Amino acid sequence: MNVVVCVKQIPDPAAPQSFDAQYNLDRSGKLILDEADTYGVEMALQLVDKAGSGEVSVVSMGSANDLAGLRNALAMGAAKAVIVSDDALRGTDALGTAKVLAAVIKRDLPDLILCATESSDGYTGTTPVQLAELLGLPSITFAKSVSVEGSTVKVNRQTEAGYDEVTAPLPCVVTVTAGVVEPRYASFKGIMAAKSKPVEILSVADLGLGDETGTKGAREEITAVVAAESRQAGEKYVDEGDGAEKIVAFLESIKVL
Amino acid sequence: MNFGFSEEQEELRKMVRRFLEEKSPETEVRRLMATPEGYDPNVWELMAKELALQGLGIPEQFGGQGFGPVELYVVFEEMGAALFCSPYFSTVALAANAVLFVGNDDDKATYLPGIASGETIATVALTDDTGNWDLSATSATATPKGDGFELNGVVNYVTDGNLASIIFVPAKTAKGLSLFALKGDAKGVSRTALATMDQTRKQSRIELHDASATLVGTEGEALGGLTTMLQVAESALAAEQVGGAQRVLNNAVDYAKTRVQFGRPIGSFQAIKHKCADMLLDVESAKSAAYYAAWASQELNDELPIAASLAKSFCSEAYFHCAAENIQIHGGIGFTWEHHAHLYFKRAKSSELFLGDPAYHRELLAQHLDI
Repeated sequence: MNVVVCVKQIPDPAAPQSFDAQYNLDRSGKLILDEADTYGVEMALQLVDKAGSGEVSVVSMGSANDLAGLRNALAMGAAKAVIVSDDALRGTDALGTAKVLAAVIKRDLPDLILCATESSDGYTGTTPVQLAELLGLPSITFAKSVSVEGSTVKVNRQTEAGYDEVTAPLPCVVTVTAGVVEPRYASFKGIMAAKSKPVEILSVADLGLGDETGTKGAREEITAVVAAESRQAGEKYVDEGDGAEKIVAFLESIKVL
Repeated sequence: MNFGFSEEQEELRKMVRRFLEEKSPETEVRRLMATPEGYDPNVWELMAKELALQGLGIPEQFGGQGFGPVELYVVFEEMGAALFCSPYFSTVALAANAVLFVGNDDDKATYLPGIASGETIATVALTDDTGNWDLSATSATATPKGDGFELNGVVNYVTDGNLASIIFVPAKTAKGLSLFALKGDAKGVSRTALATMDQTRKQSRIELHDASATLVGTEGEALGGLTTMLQVAESALAAEQVGGAQRVLNNAVDYAKTRVQFGRPIGSFQAIKHKCADMLLDVESAKSAAYYAAWASQELNDELPIAASLAKSFCSEAYFHCAAENIQIHGGIGFTWEHHAHLYFKRAKSSELFLGDPAYHRELLAQHLDI
């Protein structure tokens, strides 16, 4: 079974972020593998391992100046990486990204495509389903567990109240939530081996794409960036004999119960 | 001679740091140091299975990863910084090296794959009640019995001695200093855990009464190999000390920047600045000495005896000085028993004495330099 994992190299979230005049995030510095993507890579490795044959490839779009994030996925055990890197992709929106990823994946359609639910720097969460649509494949989102039986993928799909059991025929696109599996630590041998694994760097022209990507193709425009609202102080309840009920009501309101 | 780490070695450092941040935060260190075993078997297994750290320096033909002391340097530095509670130093720096430098190929095939896979926890008993780390002062004795040998004597300050399933014991036979492998639970082995000041590293006193053991290497010819093993282990300990010293410096500087007194951060006061600057000087010099020792351990050249004693003596004092100053910079909170500054202070003290104190190593240095 061959699995493609869509991954993103992002600026370290712990480092200060800056934007250019078009509100594009500055990605010129060091890039790391989005932690949200490590779950997909691990899931893919486990599925391929269980299937007994096949390989995991990672597909990405973004700056290829720093490939540390992709090397990280390769050190974990992925066999190869493809990254589409082109100045013309500057300003590409989520749909444009899905078009680019679809063009790469279409070249050699795998059995399964895994994505994170959303990236940790963009948070649109729309790319995976757009990708599925463009590829003409079914998609299942928010997987909290994934298993493959024959030519069917079985997913426990996280919902607000619990989870749904969903199946779909392969090939399909599945987005995995954080915590679906525990991403493995790479050994030094893995890190060394990652250095010699193939990383294919493609341009937009290589994929036969043009104006549907980049700023020209973007249907979204970022008009403003505002700081996230700082967390408000919690609400204080005084226990007047009904403390337990209030706690239950609160937990219900945030759908924990 | 290149003192820079490669990109991959830096990746290894990041991976080990992440592992330790996730699996060995201060809460875990405190939990484990209060247990008799002093380690978490699940973390030990994960470390062997995924990161393969136990086998990092063991040749591939014996089940290891086939790398060496420079890669291990990175690991020891990070473990020292995190005060990682585990029998890693005993098993990897002491036991695996003892087999590598003293054992023949059969011995290596017997003991190393188990260490590399994480299955075997082992240690080396290097001193007796006198606390003398000079191998010529070895007091344990071995006499032939049947196919093997019987060991007698007392060994003390054995790191992870109660935990180890195999204890390598240097002992004297009629032919001279030899190395023996002893099963931890063998008959005639009586192990007592010591109450240690540094709880993050467990020690035992072990009495041997006709305990049956297996010879490692050639009888009477262990001195050379054990000497090399000690020098490589001292270099590894220096790496741990550098990691710890760097961490307390970082902690001290962070605190000096945030703690406000008399309306300004205490780091702006000259007395604090001077302390931090002196610590930095210590840390940077210690790094140079420890890098040198790691390189010499990798090369196994004739600079190793000098580099190892240089690193062990300098890094011991540098770490202890930094750990003590860290408490001063933290002021009142630093004197609180529950503060992590004390964990580092105690580790710095125990590491200073472990494998020989600075005065002992300066004496060795003087001998090596024919002074």
